Amino acid sequence: MTTSMEEEERVAQPTTGEAEDLIVCATDVAKTYDTGRIKVRALRGINLSVKRAEIIAIMGPSGCGKTTLLNCLSGLDTIDSGTILVDGSDINRLSDNQKTDFRARRMGFVFQFYNLLPVLSAIENVELPLLVSGTSARETRKRSYAALEQVHLTEWAHHRPAELSGGQRQRVTVARALVNDPAIVWGDEPTGDLDSTNAQEIMDLICELNADRRQTFVLVTHDAKIAARAHRIVYMVDGLIVDEKVNS
Amino acid sequence: MQSLFGIPMNDIMIALVALLAISVGTIAFVALRNRVMFLIGLRNIPRRTAQTVLIIIGLMLSTVIISAAFTTGDTVDHSITKMVYDLTGHIDETVQKGDKLSETMEEVVRRDPLPQSLAADLEQRFKGDTEITGFLPVISEPVAVSNPGSKQSAPLGMLTGLDASRMAAFPDVVDEKGNPVDVAALAKDEVLVNKSMADEIDAKPGDTIDIYYQNQKYTFRVVNIVKDRLLTGSSGYPKLGLATRLDTLQELFNRPGEADYIAVANSGGVRGGVAVSDSVTAKLEDALKGQSYSVDSLKSDGVESAQLAGNVLMTFFMVLGLFSIGAGILLTVMIFVMLAAERKTEMGISRAVGMKRRHLIESFVSEGMGYNMLSALVGVTLGVIVATLIAGAMTLLLGQFVSIESKVTLRSLVMSYSLGVSLTFVTVLFSSWRVSNLNIVRAIRDLPEPDKKPTRRSLFLGIGLVLFGVLLMFAGMSAKQVAPWALGISLVLVGIAIACRYLGAPERPLFTAVGLTILVYWSVAAGERIPGPQMSGGIELFFLSGIMMVAAATFVVMYNAHLLLNLLALGGRRMGRIAPSIKTAVAYPLASKFRTGMTMAMIALVIFALTMMSVMNGNFDRVFLTPEARGGWDIRVQENPSNPIGDLSQALAGSGVDTSKFEAVGKIAIAGGSRSRLRQESDSSKDVKDLPTYRVGGLDQAFLKQNGIQFQSRANGYDSDAAVWSALANDASLAVIDAFATGGSGYSMGPPQFQLRGIDPGQDTFDPIPLDIVDSATGQTTPVKVIGVMAMGASGNFFGLYTSADVVGNSLGGAAYNTYYVRLTPGTDANATAKAIEAALFTRGAQAASLQQEVDDQMALSKGFFYLMQGFMGLGLVVGIAAVGVIAFRTVVERRQQIGMLRAIGFSRGQVALSFLLESSFVTLLGILTGLGLAILLSFFLLTSKSMSDMGLRGFYIPWLEIIPICLVSYLAALVMTFIPSRQAASIPIAEALRYE
Repeated sequence: MTTSMEEEERVAQPTTGEAEDLIVCATDVAKTYDTGRIKVRALRGINLSVKRAEIIAIMGPSGCGKTTLLNCLSGLDTIDSGTILVDGSDINRLSDNQKTDFRARRMGFVFQFYNLLPVLSAIENVELPLLVSGTSARETRKRSYAALEQVHLTEWAHHRPAELSGGQRQRVTVARALVNDPAIVWGDEPTGDLDSTNAQEIMDLICELNADRRQTFVLVTHDAKIAARAHRIVYMVDGLIVDEKVNS
Repeated sequence: MQSLFGIPMNDIMIALVALLAISVGTIAFVALRNRVMFLIGLRNIPRRTAQTVLIIIGLMLSTVIISAAFTTGDTVDHSITKMVYDLTGHIDETVQKGDKLSETMEEVVRRDPLPQSLAADLEQRFKGDTEITGFLPVISEPVAVSNPGSKQSAPLGMLTGLDASRMAAFPDVVDEKGNPVDVAALAKDEVLVNKSMADEIDAKPGDTIDIYYQNQKYTFRVVNIVKDRLLTGSSGYPKLGLATRLDTLQELFNRPGEADYIAVANSGGVRGGVAVSDSVTAKLEDALKGQSYSVDSLKSDGVESAQLAGNVLMTFFMVLGLFSIGAGILLTVMIFVMLAAERKTEMGISRAVGMKRRHLIESFVSEGMGYNMLSALVGVTLGVIVATLIAGAMTLLLGQFVSIESKVTLRSLVMSYSLGVSLTFVTVLFSSWRVSNLNIVRAIRDLPEPDKKPTRRSLFLGIGLVLFGVLLMFAGMSAKQVAPWALGISLVLVGIAIACRYLGAPERPLFTAVGLTILVYWSVAAGERIPGPQMSGGIELFFLSGIMMVAAATFVVMYNAHLLLNLLALGGRRMGRIAPSIKTAVAYPLASKFRTGMTMAMIALVIFALTMMSVMNGNFDRVFLTPEARGGWDIRVQENPSNPIGDLSQALAGSGVDTSKFEAVGKIAIAGGSRSRLRQESDSSKDVKDLPTYRVGGLDQAFLKQNGIQFQSRANGYDSDAAVWSALANDASLAVIDAFATGGSGYSMGPPQFQLRGIDPGQDTFDPIPLDIVDSATGQTTPVKVIGVMAMGASGNFFGLYTSADVVGNSLGGAAYNTYYVRLTPGTDANATAKAIEAALFTRGAQAASLQQEVDDQMALSKGFFYLMQGFMGLGLVVGIAAVGVIAFRTVVERRQQIGMLRAIGFSRGQVALSFLLESSFVTLLGILTGLGLAILLSFFLLTSKSMSDMGLRGFYIPWLEIIPICLVSYLAALVMTFIPSRQAASIPIAEALRYE
């Protein structure tokens, strides 16, 4: 186990200009799952930085730790060691409530299976992050419509998820992820459940939002075509980042 | 108990065991034929322990209720039967002059004597009869007793005189250990004291006690303490007694050669004698034909009454329990529907790989029976425990009248288990059949079921229901029974709605309209506000109306809940950090209408039953247990017939009782037992002995002028209550009567019933009704005219026909005893004064009581019974609460991934937990409010109906203080039940939840 002082020494501190430009800075992140009989070292000392307005894709074979890394970076899961700074905050030093609040205000999520509440309409699903962050009802509705407009779904605002196609559902998820104007959006296989046309449409949308709003995206994907549209691709094997490629 | 609903218990048991065999046989068949499906079913049981526990609790409740009802019936039957056997001992019949002994045991009266020699005559007559073993002449006199040694006294006890030479067939005089006591060995000044009397006056062998009879003191030495028996002076009332030799009493009381009754012992001993009682009674009646004696089958009648009481209570508990059983069945259906939802994907895959629908049913039924067999066993055991608690409560309530002893029969256990298992088996079978009907693709992909469009089957179902409903209506009309009639009307309405759906009618307005119509129909019909054929109904209507109204209300609420919920959601938007929890809490129940509706119905059904009971009980208490019941008096002093008081104030002079606090003293002279009979014009051809007996009281002038009894009906020409009393004071040919005599109340005050004709129940004015008071001993007839019917409130205390004291004095052989009423000056303590009067008149054996205290005691007894019933019915709440728990546990599992997402986008743990609690709150409150509303609606219509008005009910009262705690407890219990799963939901690790599929 290393002390925090040792960690500080080992982490290459970015210059002032670089530090301001980084939204995620993960150092020596390790995570082991203890299932009782066996221990699975899911992350074995990950170092990763993400710049603002960057789209980064994390790729690798099944079980390499992509989703675990995403969960740890976004504070959905805890880490055993290392540090993760998101938008300047050490995410693992926050209490559960602070983390929750941080996620509500500064992060957005897009999941493979949409994870929309089936009992709420599209606009109501989009409203949820604003409701939890205490935004007024009127403002919530206004911003949610705006978010749906960005994903071209205002006509479907009052439809429930079951009444929407897979691509539409994922666009609702994107709208929900963006509605609170987050610093970063995490996507775990955001196109994994979509056909290639819909998958490309979602990526078009992500690229468009990145270009228009300088929105940062960290995406976990299996799909090389999707990853090819990211600014940078990080490759993982057995809990380690083994390669990195910057797309031109 | 020998029968239930008229069917012999043994037959019911055989049928139920056969049903059990079919249920178990079905599972055995599945196990042998398709072992894999059987094992799949069984292995599902331990998958989720908490859920399994809740399922077992839910399934066992029906059995608990059934078992408790049967065992309570056994207990009551056993306790009362035992009391009858204990009290009567070897006496099977009695022969007496006039009334049957059992009919006058509730009232202390002096009996017309019969010759002691009748015993010898009968013995001679039945010499050699193998069914009769002996005859015993008995004197039974009410006396006052004191024990100077202990300074304890009893104003009223029965002193019996037993013919020592004939005791061989009556070995009932035994000491506390059961050893026989020799009556023949008693000296002239020796007496045996029964256990109750000994406890009362703290007497022990060797003590000297004083007995007061006809205002004379007699001193006796206590030889032994003996068991309470009829022969030792213990009857239903009073229990206190003493016994000595017959010749001693004949001499002391100057009654040579006399007895009050002849006890008859049958062959067969204490219990076996009942078998030949009918035959012996017939022989005795035949032998005594033409003489003024009656034969009373004391023991067999008592045993029959005991069985009847056991039956009535069991039926009552069973009907009350039906609400809980109904809720339990709903819970069973819901549990299996939820289990199916949980396993939808695996069921789809199973079907895809070749399993047939039958296989899924077999698997579910095997699993269901696994829960069922176990839960029924637990249920039967818990039912016995509940029955024991009920017996304990009854002992507290009725201990002074009857000793309650818990009794469990094997037959009841077998019946409860068989019924519990069979009921659940049928429910499980139905649920399994329903849930196994799935679309394989949708099941595998876990897609929601699309809205079902009405098919041709709906049309046939609708038409079928209409036809069946019409059939039921006809059946109801021909049998003049409300239940099938009203049920038929409801089914016709539902059938029409289903058929209309097929024809394209919009679902929500259609079912809302039908639901509301059924609700209105059952409410208004209960209030007899729909003109139609005259029909009758029993306690089953209580259950049926509950089921129908709750079902109708559930449809109405579920089809329209979105209106209410949208309002809530709108309001919730402005509630800051609670807003997101409200949003999700409101959305889910609306999306799962089946679950929400079922849970709501379960809770509503039980709350409906509990509220109905509270409201009905509260309103009836207000009629009978009000200050009006006192009739304007504070104290009642009942004299001992053996020690007449004469003038109460004079008797109390110098006794230390401050009679200056007596504002008024009135007296009622009560005619002897069934000597007074009533005849109306249409009965003129009837023989005197066929006329109904009725209590007749003679009122003295003071009573007539000072009482405050109100009338519910007055004869034309009498404008006020005072005018009626004034007329009665001046005219001995006038009379007033209690409200029970006008009929229509459904109450009975002892057999046989006299029904006054010429006035309808609830009629405010009427023409004076002439009738004759007939002395059954002499045949003398006294005509009177009834000019007033007393209000219901006072009718309990002043039950009978009241006229001038002269009528009783001149026409009915004088008063059997007198009752005095005292009104005290305001502020005087009635309890203390009553005690002082009783102490002062102790040697006369008078009993004084505060009327308000009696009202309070009756109120406490009524409330005690009510709480007992409510507690029993409250078992159903466990079903409702278990349902809330099952749903909450299930939804946590179901929504695991959604919870993960909510947490990911910023829901705090508290907000997730709150969302679950609010969701449960919403469903529970919907159920509580629906049940409450329906009960108030129905009870309002019922209690303000004409027949209730005829019973003296005026106005409508809601006992909120009783209802609100029930609702609060239900709500809090449901919240507690949701608390654990909601905490579970809140603490789910987010990343893990998101991975969950």
